[in-house]
Amino acid sequence: MTDSKYFTTTKKGEIFELKAELNSDKKEKKKEAVKKVIASMTVGKDVSALFPDVVNCMQTDNLELKKLVYLYLMNYAKSQPDMAIMAVNTFVKDCEDANPLIRALAVRTMGCIRVDKITEYLCEPLRKCLKDEDPYVRKTAAVCVAKLHDINAQLVEDQGFLDTLKDLISDSNPMVVANAVAALSEIAESHPNSNLLDLNPQSINKLLTALNECTEWGQIFILDCLANYTPRDDRESQSICERVTPRLSHANSAVVLSAVKVLMKFMEMLPKDLDYYSTLLKKLAPPLVTLLSAEPELQYVALRNINLIVQKRPEILKHEMKVFFVKYNDPIYVKLEKLDIMIRLASQANIAQVLAELKEYATEVDVDFVRKAVRAIGRCAIKVEQSAERCVSTLLDLIQTKVNYVVQEAIVVIKDIFRKYPNKYESVIATLCENLDSLDEPEARAAMIWIVGEYAERIDNADELLESFLEGFHDESTQVQLQLLTAIVKLFLKKPTETQELVQQVLSLATQDSDNPDLRDRGYIYWRLLSTDPVAAKEVVLAEKPLISEETDLIEPTLLEELICHIGTLASVYHKPPSAFVEGSRGVMHKRLPARTGSGESTESPDVGAAGGSAPEAAPSIIPSQGDLLGDLLNLDMAPPTTSGPPPPSTGMQMGGMDLLGGGLDSLMGDESEPLGGDIGGSPAMGAGFGAAPAVMPASLNAPVGGGLGDLFDLGGVGMPMGAYIPPKIVWLPAMKAKGLEISGTFARRAGVIQMELILTNKAMSVMTDFAIQFNRNSFGLAPAGPLQVLTPLGPNQTIEVSLPLSTVGPVMKMDPLNNLQVAVKNNIDVFYFSCQYPISMLFVEDGKMERQVFLATWKDIPNDNESQFQIKDCHLNSDAASSKLQGSNIFTIAKRTVEGQDMLYMSIKLSNGIWVLAELRVQAGNPNYTISLKCRAPEVSQCVFQCYEAVLKN
Amino acid sequence: MISQVFILSSKGDHLIYKDFRGEAGKDAVNKFYEMVTALTGGQPPVVMKHKELHFVHIRQGGLYWVATTKADASPFTIIEFLNRLTALVKDYCGCLLEKSVQMNFALIYELLDEVVDFGYIQTTSTDILKNFIQTEAVSSKPFSLFDLSNVGLFGADTQQNKVAPSAAATRPIVSSQGEQGSKNEIFVDVIERMSVVIGANVSITDYMVESSLSTYVKMAHFYDLILPNIPNVISLPPPSLLSGYGAAVRVDECSFHQAVRLDEFDTYRILKVCPSQGEQTVMQYQLCDDLPTAPPFRLFPSIERDSGGRLLMYLKLRCDLPPKRSLPLLSLFSPSLFSSLSQELSSPDQSAELQPKNKAVHWEIPRFPGGAQLSALFKLEVSGLSAASLQEVGPVSLSFELPKYTCTGLQIRFLRLSPIQPGPSQRWVRYVTHSDSYTIRI
Repeated sequence: MTDSKYFTTTKKGEIFELKAELNSDKKEKKKEAVKKVIASMTVGKDVSALFPDVVNCMQTDNLELKKLVYLYLMNYAKSQPDMAIMAVNTFVKDCEDANPLIRALAVRTMGCIRVDKITEYLCEPLRKCLKDEDPYVRKTAAVCVAKLHDINAQLVEDQGFLDTLKDLISDSNPMVVANAVAALSEIAESHPNSNLLDLNPQSINKLLTALNECTEWGQIFILDCLANYTPRDDRESQSICERVTPRLSHANSAVVLSAVKVLMKFMEMLPKDLDYYSTLLKKLAPPLVTLLSAEPELQYVALRNINLIVQKRPEILKHEMKVFFVKYNDPIYVKLEKLDIMIRLASQANIAQVLAELKEYATEVDVDFVRKAVRAIGRCAIKVEQSAERCVSTLLDLIQTKVNYVVQEAIVVIKDIFRKYPNKYESVIATLCENLDSLDEPEARAAMIWIVGEYAERIDNADELLESFLEGFHDESTQVQLQLLTAIVKLFLKKPTETQELVQQVLSLATQDSDNPDLRDRGYIYWRLLSTDPVAAKEVVLAEKPLISEETDLIEPTLLEELICHIGTLASVYHKPPSAFVEGSRGVMHKRLPARTGSGESTESPDVGAAGGSAPEAAPSIIPSQGDLLGDLLNLDMAPPTTSGPPPPSTGMQMGGMDLLGGGLDSLMGDESEPLGGDIGGSPAMGAGFGAAPAVMPASLNAPVGGGLGDLFDLGGVGMPMGAYIPPKIVWLPAMKAKGLEISGTFARRAGVIQMELILTNKAMSVMTDFAIQFNRNSFGLAPAGPLQVLTPLGPNQTIEVSLPLSTVGPVMKMDPLNNLQVAVKNNIDVFYFSCQYPISMLFVEDGKMERQVFLATWKDIPNDNESQFQIKDCHLNSDAASSKLQGSNIFTIAKRTVEGQDMLYMSIKLSNGIWVLAELRVQAGNPNYTISLKCRAPEVSQCVFQCYEAVLKN
Repeated sequence: MISQVFILSSKGDHLIYKDFRGEAGKDAVNKFYEMVTALTGGQPPVVMKHKELHFVHIRQGGLYWVATTKADASPFTIIEFLNRLTALVKDYCGCLLEKSVQMNFALIYELLDEVVDFGYIQTTSTDILKNFIQTEAVSSKPFSLFDLSNVGLFGADTQQNKVAPSAAATRPIVSSQGEQGSKNEIFVDVIERMSVVIGANVSITDYMVESSLSTYVKMAHFYDLILPNIPNVISLPPPSLLSGYGAAVRVDECSFHQAVRLDEFDTYRILKVCPSQGEQTVMQYQLCDDLPTAPPFRLFPSIERDSGGRLLMYLKLRCDLPPKRSLPLLSLFSPSLFSSLSQELSSPDQSAELQPKNKAVHWEIPRFPGGAQLSALFKLEVSGLSAASLQEVGPVSLSFELPKYTCTGLQIRFLRLSPIQPGPSQRWVRYVTHSDSYTIRI
């Protein structure tokens, strides 16, 4: 209490003193006093009490003093709005001063005073200053519009400042142009749809002219603005590139990067066979290399950007490997980035050089760096096949050094090399095994155990090795435990006779003594597999693994495209889209690279992005393994079967789930094997809980489901009537295979909504309730959009019609055939599985009509390999009738051409996942056979699309 | 778009704080200091993020120069800007010290006001700025021609009549009229940074020089500066023709300041510069591999195990420069594990010590005449010495500074002011080659 009082008094004293000085008659003294005030303000003291006294000093002809007072005003006006009004008159007067410096100063300061009341007074002076004869005043006024917009956007629009600002883009002074561009760009970002900047060839030309004349900072604004423009065609794109290229040799790295951004974006539109394209590629390399001679901070930022550029266009820097070699005095964060880029640039041509470098790095001091270097050697081996052998021997050399972390890192990467080149480098296993004891990191231990398990048949003492790990099983990390479990099961399947005891030991450790659910579940699954069918177990556990991909940790293509549009910004340093870290409306717009077009129309429409983008490629790349599929399908929360007696005791719930899994697995695999409980020779005895399980398993479930599923697959494939009317319903699930539940149905597209129309019939004697439905992952992400609406119980011999709306946002997995859909339906009795095929035409969306120009460009752009041709026989419609009929199913005719009595119809279709299909239908008058050519970036769909054509035209 | 700019002392005192857009609070300053002092060595300090605010900073003159932004701004722009800002402050206040920043805060605020408006960078050119800036700089130290304590900023020798007094470069460019108002001075500095990697088989695996030619101008009016280069050493292509490299010497990249006019460059190798007041980099260039001069140092190492289980390193270092040069030198190498060191050095003024933290032996050589050869024998106690640990020794890394020497051979033939200027003017040309990445693998 007393302390605080003490402080206030001193403060008061000081302020009192200042007050007196501020009111002094002497100019010098006044100035010193204001300086003192500002000094206190900087260190954080509150000097707002002096507001009126400072404002009194404002009316002076001393520019230096005026500037100081304005500085003070900017800081405190917000907290003293009423007092700030007092200053308004002086501001307005200063805006008409004969000295342009004072005019500009007044406008600049007024804009910084973020007080609503003041903004009203600001408008008139600002309007005058925007048309001032002095460019310094105009450029300050241009920025002031942006300031005012930030405070009161409506006011700026009402007062028409935006139009004045637009006019300033054509100003004679480049500085004014640059500021106007900067201000407009910022305002435009908060109005994503307004066409404020109105970029067109004329305005672009003006900007390009101003670019040559303005300061380096102005150049950055203009270049950033250019980057938002989408040229009409490749010629315009080239001419802009030509005029931007000289900026690449600018001394200011920010200018260089902004120019790189523009070029990277516009290059996308240039045809790759153009001479200019390769010239441009060559020109991009030197400036990027130069950035690496800057101070480490800039180097780091540059490397993050180069990392993106290398992923997008590796050809730019492919000959510049050497500059990415690590220097002794680079900070560690620069070193790590450089390593990353080195691997991305590694190719057969330079691999020897790279490996020699990496080997040197592996003996450096910094542990993190050494680890990454060793890992890099492994990645080189995986990426450049020809070098694999050399990489492996380099890694072996490193293992010989016995430096602990080097050895561990090397073993982790050798595991990956084994996965990439199976059965090729097993000779090194002996060396690896020598180092078993020194491994203390989980990742390295897990990798070593994986190797032992995978090659158990070639390692004589594999069982001893694994057993040694087993001793401290509970002290290991989860990663190691899981690997150990799998490795021992592999070992057992390979050498069943000697290792029974071991496998039993690990299974009981995993299931009974562990409370980690992952470990326990994996243990149970293995146990069950082994006890059910060791042959199947072998197929599952020792299945051939897919090879690992060459490039690891690539940035996902759409994100990469967006980041390329943000080269040189924070987004490119974080490798995150701006929306992830910029608040508010700013930066929410997702920028995309332009698609390549001929001299055609604008490419603004989003369709082109999809057509030229990566959507079609994405689908095949994310096919999960068969195991996941089943897991998902069975992921219904299902109650245990209740019809076949009381639920099993103890682990009842869990057992129910397991049974369903077993049944479903067998039946879906079409395995008509013996009953589940059957004895399996050589396998260890089952645990008590499992012993009970098969008994509970109703025999009736297994037989019909298992037998029936084979037939089910044939059901869907028959002709699919399509178009305006709904194809007839067919039986999907016969009653005898589903304990009396019969399901038939069809698919329809009504008013843009996909529907599955089902008829459920109860042919059993008991009442059915609790219906639920779930789809397996499928090619187009079909999923129920709501629950299955069967509200009343379904009595014996009752039938109910249900319509289930579907969405296309579910998980995606490519099916074979493509339009196959696996369905699980549950009721109070059991879960039933069937599969059906849907006509792909129900995925054709209503906005599938492509612009003619876009159609032409896209048709040319899709490689000829993706074209497929089909014949439609016995169709007696003329081309117009066919066209209108097809239109009913969202197949749109874009153009028609008649050549020598043959009608050529050009059509486009858009699938719900954004894939475009382009078609050319040839109809010869009098010939009932049509020829159809389909072009699509995802050629797999062509067959299904053709079937739809046939179905629609023939019905 | 820059949101705030602030300057902090190394202890975290607020020296300058300027808010341009009113979107972030003043507490950002303390938050920044907290974050920057908590950084560990391995983290890239370049861009830091706290909630919605991004900090970009550089360190110059022991001060933190920080800019914050809330938008997806360009860190390149901001770093370049901060570098220019430090140069400006240096030009205006004479030097970059906490004291001079503190004394000139009003001037710096005024500068900031003209340089940035609403977060948009306006200009950083002293020519333009001098029209606007009113405040006089307060020099922290009165200039005295006899204050030569810092002579040899770049190691220039001590013949006083030839040496540029280093203090001349630490005076504000806008000096008060009077004593030195009429004095015209131009400094041209050629600074080359060499980075060399010499492989274990004595072949040069990587040899690169990055250089910059910068001017420091202090004149009342400005003139053209003509800096001709030796034509046969660097055939610099003008920037627009960068794709066509000269056959003889490869210049990887060369960039010029905006103020450079290249119209006579191709034919006469003349760079015409209209430099602004203050310091600026006129030209930056970079050469790789085929350099006209060989790397200045060669090392002949031999490493073995002696009977007592110690590691013996015998190093012979030769300097291939012309005989009359002498230079300070410092060398480092890094074996993996060791516990103690004994040494035999070839002359008493050298010293060597163990640096356990870096796992390195540090050998310092204060004088190293050109053409001479020095040797050292280090005996290291290494626990658990094996054949493999021999492989882990190295690389040797040198850092040094060679005054009056350019490894590219670039020389400035003459420096002409045009039109011929009345009154006295002083022109200084200084060369230095510098390296802290000269690595020799063993």
